[in-house]
Amino acid sequence: MRIAFIGQPNAGKSTLFNGLAGYKTITANFPGQTVHYTISSVKIGDETFEIVDLPGIYSLTAIDKAEFESRKYILSNQADVVINVIDASTLSRSLELTLQLAELQVPMVICLNMIDEARRKGLEIDSKKLSSVFGVPVIETIASKGVGIDKIFSSAKEAYYKRLIPKIQFFHKDIEEKINEVEKLIPENIFNNLPKRYLAVKILEGDQEIFEKLKNHVDLLEKFERIRKEIENTHGRHADTVISSERHALSMNIFEEVTTFGEPAKPLREKIDDLLTNKYLGYPLLLLILFGIFFIVFEVGKLIEEPLVGVFDSLIDKLPALIKEDSFAFFIVKGLLEGFSGGLGVAIPYLLPFFVGLTILEDIGYLPRMAFLMDTIMHRIGLHGKSVLPFIISYGCNVPGVMATRILESPRDRFITATLSVFVPCAARTTVIFGLVGAYIGGFAAACLYLFNLIFIMLTGALLTKLIPEITPGLIMEIPPLRIPTIRNIFMKTWLRLKDFTMVAWPLLVISSIILSILEYLKFDILFNKIFSPVVNWLLGLPEQTGIVLLFGILRKELSMIMLFQAMGTTDLSTVLSSVQLIVFTIFTIFYIPCVGTIGTLIKEMGLKKTILITLLTLISAVALALAARVVLSMII
Amino acid sequence: MKTLLDINNGKKVKILKISGGKGVRQHLQCLGIHVGDVVTLKKTSFLGGPILLEVNGYDIALGKGVASKIEVEEVE
Repeated sequence: MRIAFIGQPNAGKSTLFNGLAGYKTITANFPGQTVHYTISSVKIGDETFEIVDLPGIYSLTAIDKAEFESRKYILSNQADVVINVIDASTLSRSLELTLQLAELQVPMVICLNMIDEARRKGLEIDSKKLSSVFGVPVIETIASKGVGIDKIFSSAKEAYYKRLIPKIQFFHKDIEEKINEVEKLIPENIFNNLPKRYLAVKILEGDQEIFEKLKNHVDLLEKFERIRKEIENTHGRHADTVISSERHALSMNIFEEVTTFGEPAKPLREKIDDLLTNKYLGYPLLLLILFGIFFIVFEVGKLIEEPLVGVFDSLIDKLPALIKEDSFAFFIVKGLLEGFSGGLGVAIPYLLPFFVGLTILEDIGYLPRMAFLMDTIMHRIGLHGKSVLPFIISYGCNVPGVMATRILESPRDRFITATLSVFVPCAARTTVIFGLVGAYIGGFAAACLYLFNLIFIMLTGALLTKLIPEITPGLIMEIPPLRIPTIRNIFMKTWLRLKDFTMVAWPLLVISSIILSILEYLKFDILFNKIFSPVVNWLLGLPEQTGIVLLFGILRKELSMIMLFQAMGTTDLSTVLSSVQLIVFTIFTIFYIPCVGTIGTLIKEMGLKKTILITLLTLISAVALALAARVVLSMII
Repeated sequence: MKTLLDINNGKKVKILKISGGKGVRQHLQCLGIHVGDVVTLKKTSFLGGPILLEVNGYDIALGKGVASKIEVEEVE
């Protein structure tokens, strides 16, 4: 049996899903975290359930790309049972989606999640009454605490075997007449078995996808347009507005029928929330929180990194005593150890605290508040507040950062945000900044590089929005209530994210480190270095040996630092590189070509053409900026 | 005509008209903002930035551009 979780963004679908399937998907307290769907099999007794976690969708009128994916899945009729997950504290609005799902005529269970939050708001929902309105099972859950989730499978089975299909709730008579009229006109076998009523309502709403499919039936389209016009004339509003208002009125009626209203508790949270988004205090708090996180990440990271890497360094030092130096085996073992220690030196010390910090911010619900605060500033570079989220995530890793651009509505905003995200120094590049500039020149210089990077991103953003002008509607975003994160969720999410790194990136790092070692053994590295020499040596004034190092940096950015030590044959770079060279090298590393993982994600999200465009842009920027840094710094220092 | 930008913090208003294209209109409808709804303006922000609206017990942030397209009248 295939069960699909459908609900509005931030209703707790992923939390429920994780509770049932073990931790497989990342949840967060901001709308639109699930950007692609996750399927998982769960065996209970001798029955296997396939459960599907879909991106949140406010309505079957898809607004952004993530919502479009969900809608496509729902309409493909693959689910045997639909579990409509509702944030009980926003029942009045959530029911609007429920009404639309009912039109699809698939067995359904309504899951009133976050029932505790609804009570805090003073809403007491009569689930029996709600169940009789729709004729389907209604269960109450608190997914974050695991309350009630055991009832999900039993009620899904009940809905499936008894074929509990939700009852259609009817609109006003005059609209129903129009729906009937449209239903009769809909041709068979164009919309593979989708219920006629659903189609009719969508046609009245002017659904683009359906109109696209009917484009060969000119006479029909004309008739539909006429009916839409009639509604517009009698109601004095657009047909889609009329339908939406009808649905709104219906949901409000049902909401009022099943809910008793009490006094809402005015909790401390409300006061904290007020402070976090305060007109004046919100901004210093934002800076404090971000700097706090970065400070902790680097202090904690440094503390763990040094002894950890030290162990491997001493191992590598002892290596000549164990295996004959200059033998093939020696190079392989050396490459393996260096790659392994590189991953360990980055993943554990820096990523772990960063992920913990990011997870806490996410689960509390601070990210959407940040989007709210930053909206004005983002408008200066032609974007709006929501674009902040991909940027912040990109400081950890560009891959999820680029994926997060799906929460943006317009393709142009997605493209610009993704392009800028790629310039954001991720954890890997951060280790390069700190490992080279921070360690050899000083913390202040490292901080300046961040600022330099930020200014560059702002300017590029301003330039791109000038080049691709478009009037964007601006920010429209739900701000979910602040929530207290659970330790379990923070732990599991951090683990999930870290697992991604250890499973994909780390092996890649080890392998490429071995390859480099072999190349070195075969003396091929000299050849590569010669090829890159014009740019690396002549233009940027870096030693020739850095050519191959930068090539490998494309695999993972921190490789370019780890291998720099290897290529230069020293553990103290200040003896072979000048301060200017170190800065030029670091700037080049920050800006040039995104790593393999990011390129892969860009292709998936933006297409090949745009990926090539973005990659070229990064390469040009890197050369230009590094050259400029070389010229300017040589004059100062 | 007053829009959401002309309203002071904490005031309750009734939405009279949502102008602007179909995209904005439908997006607002999806989030439960309809003509005739009574909403509370919870917060305005710095430099005429976004506003925070309370609609039927939940919060929605609207950018300046969107807010200027929503015509309202004060109630009470």
